Amino acid sequence: MNERDLVRRQIPIVLGEIQFLTRMLYSLADHPVKSLVLQELWNQTSFLQFLLSLVDQQLAAPPAPAALAALPTFTRDELAAFTGRNGNPAYVAVGGTVYDVTDNAAWSAATHFGLTAGRDLTPEFASCHAAQQYILGTLRPVGRLA
Amino acid sequence: MIDPNYVLPPEAVSNEAVARRLVEDAAEQIRAGRLKKKRLVWLELTGCSGNIISLLDGFHPDLEYLVTSMVDLVYENSLMAAEGERAMERLMGVLDEEFILAVEGAVSLKNNGLYNVIGRWQGEPLTALAAARMLGPRATHVIAVGACAVDGGPSAASPNPAQCVGLPEVVDRPMIKLPGCPCHPDWFLGTLAHLLLYGAPKLDDLGRPLLFYGPTIHDRCPRRPFFDRGIFARTLGEPTCLFKLGCRGPVTRVDCPTRLWNGYVNWPIGASTCIGCSQFGFPDGMAPFVRFDTTREP
Repeated sequence: MNERDLVRRQIPIVLGEIQFLTRMLYSLADHPVKSLVLQELWNQTSFLQFLLSLVDQQLAAPPAPAALAALPTFTRDELAAFTGRNGNPAYVAVGGTVYDVTDNAAWSAATHFGLTAGRDLTPEFASCHAAQQYILGTLRPVGRLA
Repeated sequence: MIDPNYVLPPEAVSNEAVARRLVEDAAEQIRAGRLKKKRLVWLELTGCSGNIISLLDGFHPDLEYLVTSMVDLVYENSLMAAEGERAMERLMGVLDEEFILAVEGAVSLKNNGLYNVIGRWQGEPLTALAAARMLGPRATHVIAVGACAVDGGPSAASPNPAQCVGLPEVVDRPMIKLPGCPCHPDWFLGTLAHLLLYGAPKLDDLGRPLLFYGPTIHDRCPRRPFFDRGIFARTLGEPTCLFKLGCRGPVTRVDCPTRLWNGYVNWPIGASTCIGCSQFGFPDGMAPFVRFDTTREP
């Protein structure tokens, strides 16, 4: 059984929990117990969301080299316009590929731990996420760095 | 026969219930003589004293409970009655005893620490740097309380004129880190109660107790459904997702959404963005806190 099957097996179990908790809420009168059940419902929903994001991540295989080659090229000056400000999308380059981080949760206001978008962040990525190359697979590639 | 105090599952997991169970358990162990009241030294180094103020706001349990029932608070310069040389005598008195050390505030390194003098001992100024080096290695446990103690925090923000660093850069030993600006009273009191009862709590790979620093703010945010549908607020008054305005919830691991603040009634997301105060790198790494020229046309 591969990892994706393991994750998929979890989903109906969590859904069952959620249904059980929801049914339980109908029959509860005691306020403290009700808030306990609500909290647990909240936890299970977050967990379900997490499982679904895992399934999505595994589906996003790293782009094929041929697909990458078909993408437009950006010079560093061109890339610098995509700062995520004044209505522009937020792009960053890592390892020669330009990625879209406009709607990436870790890039609020097109900034990430003091880094700004529109730049080549290869060394910065290597210094913090060397062991987390899978992150790149979750981003949408939009071009190559010239 | 079931012990009447035994909590049958499902046990209540509200903030009040968990905190109350931990401290009642600790108090019971102390009464039964299985636990000896430990000494606690709380050092205020280079910071704003916000963490001790936050602790004064503790609710379940409160400060009175901390000092009467949990520990023997030997030294806390804002709260103790003794002052001057008398206060320093109390601090020096613990050196040969067992004690738990809580530190808030960063350590200023400039001019050999002279930018922050916390008292005078035998006519000589005692710098924050010297105090941290003297007490840090001797304590049974060290708890770095708040952003400044953990990694410099606002005290070390650019341009950092006093050359502030976090406690781990000065005291090389395992320590429990409770980042936050300020630290929630429950995070500190819960960690302390765990220390007293069961030893050090389980920590993540960055030294934070998993008890409090687990999922991100984003994972449990009440505004989360708006993020998933791509509905973003353009001003702080809107009830939708604050991601485009600079919310740091997605990178901040702490339990604010379910714990809440100020006697468990509210928390930052209720009115504005999360500024990531409980994440390493705060505040410079979390800038801008709020920005209105977003990736979308207004």
